Amino acid sequence: MLVTKHAPNFTGSAFYQGKYKKVSLEDYRGKWVVLCFYPGDFTYV
Amino acid sequence: MGYDQLQALGVEVLSVSTDSVHSHKIWNETELSKMIGNDVPFPMVSDQNGAIGKLYDVYDEASGINVRGRFLIDPEGIIQAAEILTPPVGRNPAELIRQIKAFQHHQKTGEVMPSGWTEGKKTLKPSPGLTGNVWREWDPRKDG
Repeated sequence: MLVTKHAPNFTGSAFYQGKYKKVSLEDYRGKWVVLCFYPGDFTYV
Repeated sequence: MGYDQLQALGVEVLSVSTDSVHSHKIWNETELSKMIGNDVPFPMVSDQNGAIGKLYDVYDEASGINVRGRFLIDPEGIIQAAEILTPPVGRNPAELIRQIKAFQHHQKTGEVMPSGWTEGKKTLKPSPGLTGNVWREWDPRKDG
């Protein structure tokens, strides 16, 4: 079960505002975060 | 997807799929920016080997993709809420916003939100006196 636990940290490449950049979840400490997984780009839901 | 509301609540968004960052870029340019009138306002993370999906138990080995997993993480880094759907059905942003408001209200006041709570509806203050007396305080027929 993941709720009540610390969110596992990760680092990954991201596309953001026209650029590629590294994103780490730990950089968001102190803020509320919604982390959304989805099956794939160009899908229609 | 209610991004303005999320911003107003001080919530950051990260999306994750197994596509490459190049695919994210092209999807933003060719489709998403036309849907929403501007660039996607949050980082779109690439998870090409499913490593991040595996950490959150949303990676489907058979199809090699992450299913629709949504995690609400508080400022301490604790996961307060999660929703996981198979691919055919999209999420309901209004329910996410409702949950964020409820958790933020709880963290600010210590109050708890009964079933069916939406902003402005009755909350409860946990106390020994409330045990066995919720029915006096909260009527699901009018407060629910």
